[in-house]
Amino acid sequence: MLRELLDVLISGITIGSVYAMMAIGMALIYGVTKVFNFAYGSFYTMGGYLAFVFFGFNLGYLPVLALVVPALFLAGMGTEKFIVRPLRKHDNWEMAAVMITLGLALFLDNLYQVIFGSYVKSLPSLFTGNLNIGTVVFSVQDVAIFIVAISIMFLFMIFLGRTRTGMAVEAVAQDTVGAEIVGIPKDMVFGFVFGVSAVLVGMGGILLAPKYYVSPFGGWNILVKAWVITALGGMGSIRGSLYAAFILGIVEAFVGWQFGYTWTLFAWFAVLLITLIIRPQGLLGTWG
Amino acid sequence: MGLTMKMKKELLLLLAIYTVLCLMPLAVHGNLYLMNILITCLIWAVVAASWDLIMGFAGIFTFGQVAFFVIGAFGSAILTRTIGISPWFGILFGGMLAGVMGLLVGLPCLRLKGAYVALVTFAVHMILEPFLKSSVGRTIGTGGSPGIMSIPPLSLGQYEFSSMNLIPPYYTAVVLSMISLLIIYKIINSTWGLAFIALRDSEVFANSLGVDDFKYKLLVFGISAFLAGAVGAFYAHYVGMLSSRILGLDLFLILMVMLVVGGMGRFPGAVIGSFITISVSELLRPLENYRLVIFGVIVIFLVLFLPQGVTGLLFPVKGKSPLTRLGEYFRSRWRTQH
Amino acid sequence: MLEVMDVDVCYGEFQVLHQVSVTVKTGELVVLLGPNGHGKSTLLKTICGMMSPAAGRIKFDGEAIDRLPANKIVEMGLTYIAEDRHLFPYMSVLKNLKLGGFNKNAHAKEEKNLAWVLNLFPRLNERLNQYASTLSGGEARMLALARGLMSNARFMAIDEPSLGLSPNLRMDVFNIIKEINDRGITLLLVEQCVPEVVEIADRFYLMEEGLITFEGDSKSIMKNTDIKEAFLGM
Repeated sequence: MLRELLDVLISGITIGSVYAMMAIGMALIYGVTKVFNFAYGSFYTMGGYLAFVFFGFNLGYLPVLALVVPALFLAGMGTEKFIVRPLRKHDNWEMAAVMITLGLALFLDNLYQVIFGSYVKSLPSLFTGNLNIGTVVFSVQDVAIFIVAISIMFLFMIFLGRTRTGMAVEAVAQDTVGAEIVGIPKDMVFGFVFGVSAVLVGMGGILLAPKYYVSPFGGWNILVKAWVITALGGMGSIRGSLYAAFILGIVEAFVGWQFGYTWTLFAWFAVLLITLIIRPQGLLGTWG
Repeated sequence: MGLTMKMKKELLLLLAIYTVLCLMPLAVHGNLYLMNILITCLIWAVVAASWDLIMGFAGIFTFGQVAFFVIGAFGSAILTRTIGISPWFGILFGGMLAGVMGLLVGLPCLRLKGAYVALVTFAVHMILEPFLKSSVGRTIGTGGSPGIMSIPPLSLGQYEFSSMNLIPPYYTAVVLSMISLLIIYKIINSTWGLAFIALRDSEVFANSLGVDDFKYKLLVFGISAFLAGAVGAFYAHYVGMLSSRILGLDLFLILMVMLVVGGMGRFPGAVIGSFITISVSELLRPLENYRLVIFGVIVIFLVLFLPQGVTGLLFPVKGKSPLTRLGEYFRSRWRTQH
Repeated sequence: MLEVMDVDVCYGEFQVLHQVSVTVKTGELVVLLGPNGHGKSTLLKTICGMMSPAAGRIKFDGEAIDRLPANKIVEMGLTYIAEDRHLFPYMSVLKNLKLGGFNKNAHAKEEKNLAWVLNLFPRLNERLNQYASTLSGGEARMLALARGLMSNARFMAIDEPSLGLSPNLRMDVFNIIKEINDRGITLLLVEQCVPEVVEIADRFYLMEEGLITFEGDSKSIMKNTDIKEAFLGM
């Protein structure tokens, strides 16, 4: 029993780390640009499919990443520049942004289906085998996923706090007008943030693909999950999303073990609703 | 308050559309496929219009309309099967059930910020499917996974609607949708309606003039849910069977496309959007999977270049926006004080 | 230095500014007076690139800036200080100040500017590590001003620097403004009902309902009793 509980905990923390990475991407976009990117799931899938294509050329993991990461960044930046930015002068542009990213999601997901077909694709695992520490068995792949996700997030937090660009991003998130006043090129920051978040969620797609496969519409699940996590953490709060992701990751593992995974979202929404009733602004509710 | 030019034009457009609709069967009554498509368009037009009412006009971002549609549908189906009342009452019941649910959902939602409302209503949508399939659902008669197979059809006197003669259901759909749209129209153009629009365009501005948003928002939640639920019940009795698969993403996305095509916040955009979207969808069917890819591109183009939708093409918004009117009111107050 | 020529600005379909023309010569301190809600802030926002004019031109040092984005204008040496400050709430006073010096020209001189600014505003020095959201109204206003100074600006457009301040603080603020002007920084202020302004200003404009209805120096404005009463509180 204790052994099973420990497995559940480990499983929850592992998946939580990837969720955290992806939720941070969404919190970033929402916190900085105030846009809700409905095509977020499609970028998750994009990571998986791009990797699939490059693996098809018999490249190793690192070369594949070296190709996929810039591609994702450009895709994200391009989306902001050509699809979202022109909307800002419209009335009610936030709603228009949701609609247009919805169109983008429709386009991308069905494009994937046309190109790759409906059957799921798999990516090679980076590691196989298990690690034994005491009586606990970890799969090496899971450990690797955890380490990669945590490292990425760690680097990202350092970037935000210590680099000049990072400060600019934080400034735009905290007060967009203030950022304009001090001369920060707001539009470039918006594009940059979209690019980074595409990389974050796309990496999530690559890390999870060996276990959960890549499919044309698999991104919607991720969109909803990232959304719930970000909402729980407090829309736009990076640290909040971090905590929320681990909490919900563990909830998912637990619910999956006891009741079956179909109840996961149900449980997540229950947690979210209860939290919002007590604290309408989410766990941490502010930027930071 | 007399009818303004804009209101007259919108009403005329609606009447024009409905005149054509009433006359359609003369041309196509033999073609069951087309008749079915038309009825489908009318059903989704009401759902889209109710969604436009709460999102496009009242500016409340929600994803609950499909859920309310389904609640109305299942509610009426179950009630007519178990108690055996007439499906006409079922439609009313379905609407009321959905309406009450709408009020219940609206109550907590309105305390939250915009993005959260969307999430909570989306949650309602997502929770509905497992609920319908669960044992609790089955106990009340939802039929679990396979759903409900035989739902009593509508009937007029002794005559039962059948799938062979689609003219009676067609005219029923015409009448029901007309009533729904007129209700929506009345709401938009009432004093409440202007308050909604002011809220949507600038909540701070409107609040400073004393517009109480909670009551209005709750009302809109309820009414749009009611309409979706009522037409959902009609759908159940028309199609004769119901399963939770209807809660899938496809319907959702197509409804949003309808709003974009028709023009959000432009009456009767939802109706126009519904007909155009479904027609295009059917025309593109031979292209199979490319169909939705093209839809995606169409949506992107429409939002970028035609944000007012097709209605915007026909009747571009000229004349003063509510924000302008509020601004001028503010100015004239200053003037009278000096 | 700054020329605003026949500028029209609209919020949607509502025209706020009508053919507004304003000039500020290098080194001057010009004050824009007028009732609330009549376009003064809008003019400032348009000058510094946050809004675009529907018609007319704006030139800074001879170069047209009306179509430039705000950050380019800051780089050119024109800084705006908003009435509602727009400080970064969850950043320390120090970080706010450093961000004030974000643009390329200021970044190099960050230390020097920081020293100068903290000298001018000793109160801020005491609160260096506090979050900007914890500052009092007066301190926040000082921080906004200080942050603006960090940008190495040659021209500053300041919107109601003394709003909501006690008479003592007002004195301090205007002394600082005079000192900035003496340093050679050209200033365009928006103010109302503040008699102190007459002593330090070179010229005045009056804006009513989006139109410039008066232009003149301190002598001519003292002769005009209506304006004195209505907009200078004298």
